Amino acid sequence: MEEDAAFGPESLALPPEQIQRRVEESLRQVGLWEMRQRSPHLLSAGQTQRLALAGVLAMHPLCIVFDEASTMLDPSGRSMLLETMQRLNREAVTVIFITHFMEEAVVAKRMVVFSHGQVAMDGTPDEVYAKPERLAALRLDLPPAARAAAAVRASFPDLPEGLLTPVQVIAALPEYPRPAATFPDEIPAANKEDLPPLIEVNGLGFTYMLGTPLAHRALVNVDLRVGVGEAHGLAGMTGSGKSTLMQHLNALIYPQEGQVRVAEFNLNDPNVERRQVVRKVGLVFQNPEMQFFEHFTGDEIAYGPRQLKVEEPLAERVRWAMEQVGLDFDTYKDRPLFSLSGGERRKVALASTLALKPEILLLDEPTAGLDPASRRDLLDKLLAMRDSGLTLVLSSHQMGDLARLAHDLTVFYQGRSVLTGPTVRIFEQRETLRGYGLEPPVAAQVAAGLRAKGWPLPQGIMTAEALQAAVAQALQGVDR
Amino acid sequence: MSTQGVKRSANEFEFMRGLPFGPYLPVDSPLHRLDPRTRILLVVLLMISLLAARQPLGLVLCLAVILIGWWIAKVPFEPLWRGWLSALPFLLFLVALQILFRVGTDPDVIFQIGSLVISSADLLAGLAVLLRFSGFMAVLGLAAASLSESEITRGLEALLRPLSVLHIPTQDFVMAVQVTLRFFPLLAQTAERIAKAQASRGADWRPAGWNLVQRVKQIAPVIVPLFVASLRRAENMALAMDARGYGSLPLRTSLVSLQYHWVDAVVLVVAGTFCLVVIIV
Repeated sequence: MEEDAAFGPESLALPPEQIQRRVEESLRQVGLWEMRQRSPHLLSAGQTQRLALAGVLAMHPLCIVFDEASTMLDPSGRSMLLETMQRLNREAVTVIFITHFMEEAVVAKRMVVFSHGQVAMDGTPDEVYAKPERLAALRLDLPPAARAAAAVRASFPDLPEGLLTPVQVIAALPEYPRPAATFPDEIPAANKEDLPPLIEVNGLGFTYMLGTPLAHRALVNVDLRVGVGEAHGLAGMTGSGKSTLMQHLNALIYPQEGQVRVAEFNLNDPNVERRQVVRKVGLVFQNPEMQFFEHFTGDEIAYGPRQLKVEEPLAERVRWAMEQVGLDFDTYKDRPLFSLSGGERRKVALASTLALKPEILLLDEPTAGLDPASRRDLLDKLLAMRDSGLTLVLSSHQMGDLARLAHDLTVFYQGRSVLTGPTVRIFEQRETLRGYGLEPPVAAQVAAGLRAKGWPLPQGIMTAEALQAAVAQALQGVDR
Repeated sequence: MSTQGVKRSANEFEFMRGLPFGPYLPVDSPLHRLDPRTRILLVVLLMISLLAARQPLGLVLCLAVILIGWWIAKVPFEPLWRGWLSALPFLLFLVALQILFRVGTDPDVIFQIGSLVISSADLLAGLAVLLRFSGFMAVLGLAAASLSESEITRGLEALLRPLSVLHIPTQDFVMAVQVTLRFFPLLAQTAERIAKAQASRGADWRPAGWNLVQRVKQIAPVIVPLFVASLRRAENMALAMDARGYGSLPLRTSLVSLQYHWVDAVVLVVAGTFCLVVIIV
C-alpha cells in the first residue's frame, strides 16, 4: 500500500525522506495508515478507492479530477471524501468531481450538467437545482433533501426555495404550531407468519487465506434470519463482511465456523453440492459487469440455464429473464455486451442470475455506479420482484435504497452482525448507526428534526412520500 | 465440529493459496535486513548454482541452503510445501520423461523393454530434474517473500545502472519487471472473480484433485475472459501510471533508500564461494 501511494512522488523524483513523509500524510488523510502493510489486492472495494485517493494526494497536485470516486464508498467514506475535497479546495486546489449522486454536487461552487456529450446546464448548484423539470428531462434528479423539502412544501407553502441539505431543510421548518401533543407511536406490526426462516445463519465465522501469513478475518459470529418472501437488507461500512456473507449464502464459500442453512440446504453438510444450491439461490455480484465472460448479451444470460441443463427451451428462458428486467429480447439478444450502457449492463447481469429462476435473490450493491434514472428503474424492478414473493437479500451503501426495499435490516460492523430488526426500527437509532459509520435516510433525518421541533410525527418515516403524508396528517386540526 | 474433517476446502477460489511463492512478507529477519541488491544477487547466485550443479549432491546442498534461507527469513514453510505438492504431478511427469527418453549409452542397465532402456544414470538424471525444479520453486518463493516490489525495482535499477552507459533503457526494463510482479496477484484475483461468477451460475467447480481432464475443463472457460480482463486492466494501469507522472522526468527516486553494510559483502563472498564449489564439485 505504501509503495502504491509512493508511486507518484517517486515519478516526481523526490528524495526518499520527503516521499516517506508524503506517503504517511496521504495515507493518514484517507484513514489507511494503520493497515499500510496490507497488499493492495487484498483490500475491499472501498479501501481500494481510498488508496487510489491517497496515491493522488501524495503528489500534491494543483488540480484533481475525481471520476465517480465515491461509487464504492460507504456513507462515512463518502463524507471523508467530500471533506477532503472541500479542504483541498480551501487550500487552493482545483477540484473537479464527476458524480451520479445529486447530494454530492451540492458542495460544489459550480455545477455543470452534461448530456450526450454537450453541456446542458451550467451554474451554481442552487441555480441548477432550481430547475427540477429540466433535470428530470435530463434523467437526473434533485438531492434527497430537496425532494423531502418538496414533499412537505404542500403543507408549508412559505418554505423557502433552494434547500439542498438535510440541515438546511430542518432549520427552515417551523416549530409545531400547538403545544406538543402525545406522540403517536404505532407501527403496524409486520404480518409475519410463523414459518421457519428460509435462511438461517448461526455464529458464522470466516477467515480469508486461513493458515497463511496473510490470513484476514472477515466474519465473526454472524447471525442472520430471513423469512420466506422477505426482503432483507445488509448495511455496513466497506469491508464489514457483507459480500463474504452473501458468498456463503450462495455456497461459493463454505462455512469455517458456525452453521448456514439456506432453504433446504445445510451448507455445513459436505455432500450438498453448489450446483443444486445455485438453482435456488441466485447471486448478483458487486459490479457484476466486471465479471461478464461471454461476448453477446443472449449468451451471457443463457450461461446458467445451459450449464444446469434446464428443461425449458433455452431461448424461452432467456426471453423470460430479459422480460423480468425490462430488456427486449429481440433488440438486445445479439448485442455485444460492451456496446451496452451501464444501466443496461446491470440489467443483463440481473437477468443472467434470474435466468435460473431462483427462489432467493442475493444482490450485492445492486445500484452502485448507476445514474439516478437507471437506479430508480432498477429499484422499481426489484420492488416488483419483492412484491411477487421473491425472497431478497441485498446489501447497499444507499440507505434510501434499503429504506424503500428492505423489510428487515442487519447492520454489520467489523465482520460482526451488530444490529438486526425491522428497517424502520433500525433507522430510528441514529446515534448507534453513526457509531457504525452509517446515517439514516434523509427523509428519516428530516422527520427526526421535525419531531425535535415538537411535531407529533409517527416513528418509521423513511421516504419523502411517507414524510409528506405524516406532515399533512399532523397539520389536520391545527388552526392556521 | 463435524465439518472439520471434511476434505472440501472452505474457499476453493483462493487461487493465490496454490502459488508456491506467496506475496512479500514484511517481517524483520536477518535476511530482510540485508541490502536488496545483496538479496537479488543471492537469488541469482543460487539459481546459477542450481543450473550449473553437475551432481545431485550439489543440488541437495543448494536446496538445503535455500531452506535454511527460508528459516532465517522467518517465512513459514507451509505454503511452499502446499505449492510443491500441487506441482508434484507436473514434476513427476517431467521426471518420467527424463528417465524414459534420456539418450545415453550407460553400461549399467537396470531393465529394458524393447528399445526403452533405463539405466541408473537415467534415474539419477530424473532425480536431478526433481531436485532442480524443487530448488527453483523454493528460491523463487524465498525471493518473493523477502523482496518487496520496490526493493526489487530499486535493487535491479542500482545493479543495472552501469548498463545505461551503453544506452540500454534499464529503467523501462525494471518497470516492466515491476508491473509483471504486480500483475500476478491481480491475475489470480481476476481469475477468482470470473470463476466465482461462473460457479454461482452453475459451472462445475467440484474439487478435481488429480483428474486432469476435469481440471482443464474447469480452467479453460476462465482463460479467455481472464485475458480480456487483463488487457483492459493493463490499459487502465498504463493510464494510471501516466496520470501519476511516470516518465515525466528522466529519473525516478524511491521510497526506500539503499545502504550497503559490511554484512552484505561477507554474505556475498560466502555465497559466491558456495556457488563455485557446487559448480566445480
